[in-house]
Amino acid sequence: MQNNKTPKIFVNLFNPEVKIGILRYVISFFGVIILGSALIIFQNEDPVNAAKLILEGSFGSMTAIGNTLRWTTPCMLTGAAGIIAFKSGINNLGIEGQMYVGALTAAIVGFAVELPPVLHVAACIVMAGIAGVLWVLVPALMRLFFNINEYVTTMMMNFVAMLLTDYITLWIIMPGFKETSTTIRTPSILSSAKLPTIIRGTSASYGFYIALFICLFVYVLYKYTIKGYELKQVGDNIKFAKAGGVNTTRTFISIFVLSGFIAGVCGGIEVTGGYYRYISNFSSTMGWDGIMIANISGRNPIALIFVSFVWGMLKTGAMHMERATTLNRLTVNLLQMIFVLLVSINYEGIINHIKDKWNKRKMKNQMAKAKEGHYVQ
Amino acid sequence: MFNEILATCFSSVTFAAAIRLSCPLIIGSVGGCFNEKTSTGNLSYECFMLVGAFFGAYGSFISGNPLIGSMVAMLSGVVLAVIYGVLVYHLSCNPMIVSLAYNTGAWAMTTLLLVNIWGVRGFYTDPAIVSYKVMDWAFLKNYPVLNTLFNNNIGLVYFAYIFAVAGYMVMYKTPFGLRLRGVGINPKASESAGISVLKYRWICLLIMGISMGLAGSYMPLSGLSMFSENMTRGRGFLCLTSILVGKGNPFRTTLVAILFAYASSLTLVFSTYNLPTQILNMLPYIMVLVVLFISGLRSYKGTVDISNDTI
Repeated sequence: MQNNKTPKIFVNLFNPEVKIGILRYVISFFGVIILGSALIIFQNEDPVNAAKLILEGSFGSMTAIGNTLRWTTPCMLTGAAGIIAFKSGINNLGIEGQMYVGALTAAIVGFAVELPPVLHVAACIVMAGIAGVLWVLVPALMRLFFNINEYVTTMMMNFVAMLLTDYITLWIIMPGFKETSTTIRTPSILSSAKLPTIIRGTSASYGFYIALFICLFVYVLYKYTIKGYELKQVGDNIKFAKAGGVNTTRTFISIFVLSGFIAGVCGGIEVTGGYYRYISNFSSTMGWDGIMIANISGRNPIALIFVSFVWGMLKTGAMHMERATTLNRLTVNLLQMIFVLLVSINYEGIINHIKDKWNKRKMKNQMAKAKEGHYVQ
Repeated sequence: MFNEILATCFSSVTFAAAIRLSCPLIIGSVGGCFNEKTSTGNLSYECFMLVGAFFGAYGSFISGNPLIGSMVAMLSGVVLAVIYGVLVYHLSCNPMIVSLAYNTGAWAMTTLLLVNIWGVRGFYTDPAIVSYKVMDWAFLKNYPVLNTLFNNNIGLVYFAYIFAVAGYMVMYKTPFGLRLRGVGINPKASESAGISVLKYRWICLLIMGISMGLAGSYMPLSGLSMFSENMTRGRGFLCLTSILVGKGNPFRTTLVAILFAYASSLTLVFSTYNLPTQILNMLPYIMVLVVLFISGLRSYKGTVDISNDTI
């Protein structure tokens, strides 16, 4: 009889899937350590020192931890937007564009509208989300009505979003509100539109909690609700879902809307909790990072939180490392990409392949023995 | 003002710029057609092109010969393609994730190399990066329009159009092309007909890598003699889009690529009119959406219909 008292998590640890998952991360981790050391030595620096600086820059002090949390936030949000899209088989590569549109909307609401404190922040973030939804609706409708694959349209909408937000900021907002600056940026948002910070002196804001909440929401949505099951079913097998009575059109649109909303909210939080204004090119591939984080965390919102944390840690640590050594922080970026490549390798397939070969060889040996007249079981 | 703008749209100068700008798009997308026909899901054109651009500049810098620069760029394309092939075909990675990692990593990698080799951030310009010489065809001088359109281009531009024709011929008029199209349509059927699917996929991936490297090397070696961070600025994505709209047919892909190049050339000629640059730079991307929309109109049935058979 099974021991019913064993908590589920301990049983899960010996699950072959979990084992492969752990193996995957361990191999990738060591692979990155080896390649990273080579890369750092190639640039005439000490890898151990670099690693120490990265850890010091991300955990060394309260400020460092705050900065880590600050950079974890956008990773979690873009990752969640990615997970929702990819779980349902939709390639929303336009998270970056939706973020830009959301960020500009939040900035405009933040400096041009006067509202009571709490309401103002909420209005900024919600409006940012709605802007993201509107931006994603174009590819969504093109997919629905004209069967145009969303991965090209969303990608092109990224470029359009970046240029359009720059245009609006530079030609309409900056002359209109007499903002003079060499960089393209809006005026600073009102203090009532700023998210309060968690750790004083850093930009770790309540946005972190919002992001955490959204990740948990996505987890619960897919794990425990019928709606989540429908969303997933549409991605797995749309004909089956239709036969089962799911309103596929509505579900399909709602996937886009959810994904776009979260991406927009991410832009909104970047403005209300990070930069306090819209700055041209603020994201620097944050949206693409989100897509990759979503995939290397195995499209699991709980794993996403941890992976985002590592990503945020590396980002803050890399900045500290850049200040202290001659190494460029792009070294860390490159290593992150190598990590993504290593994690995405199908280790299970390789193990099975080796096992197959092993078994075949064993079989051959047994056959040979049988021919010689030995007894074979 | 409006008439003036319209006249500029159809002036020979604009078309001449379009012919020049279409060169990297055509070379890259015709090569990419082969890859698209045999396997799907490769989005990493931007990476190949950017790395090609860097190594084109570097090769020309150390050798003083643009031809060697292009060869180094092609070699870099081969190396990237080999890594991609091993990861996707042999270790069964998800091609999309590999592509995204490639695209994001390319920027980091080229900038790191820029910092480590030339010690600058942003851009590096040096006459030691020798560009291709423009070709001067004497017989075109008698015809003014043809002269502006086709004369005084670098060799690669002419090569691009020859390459497009050659690509079409290989894909539709040779046994090799027939087999590779078969691999794309139904891998299992081709396997049972005795064609090695993996071999064809590898060959096509290498063709794509070589041509994207060459396309990338156009950018620093077309007279600018410089390399800048993120030099390709989405041109790789334009290549990918022309392939997807042209459905991997080199002829149609070339036409789409020329259209995108035309949109890019408009951004150049309109910059004299004091229009916002951001709006002008949007033109090629808007053009992509419009082209997709028009080609999508055919499959419009008046009702909502979700199928995986997309453009």
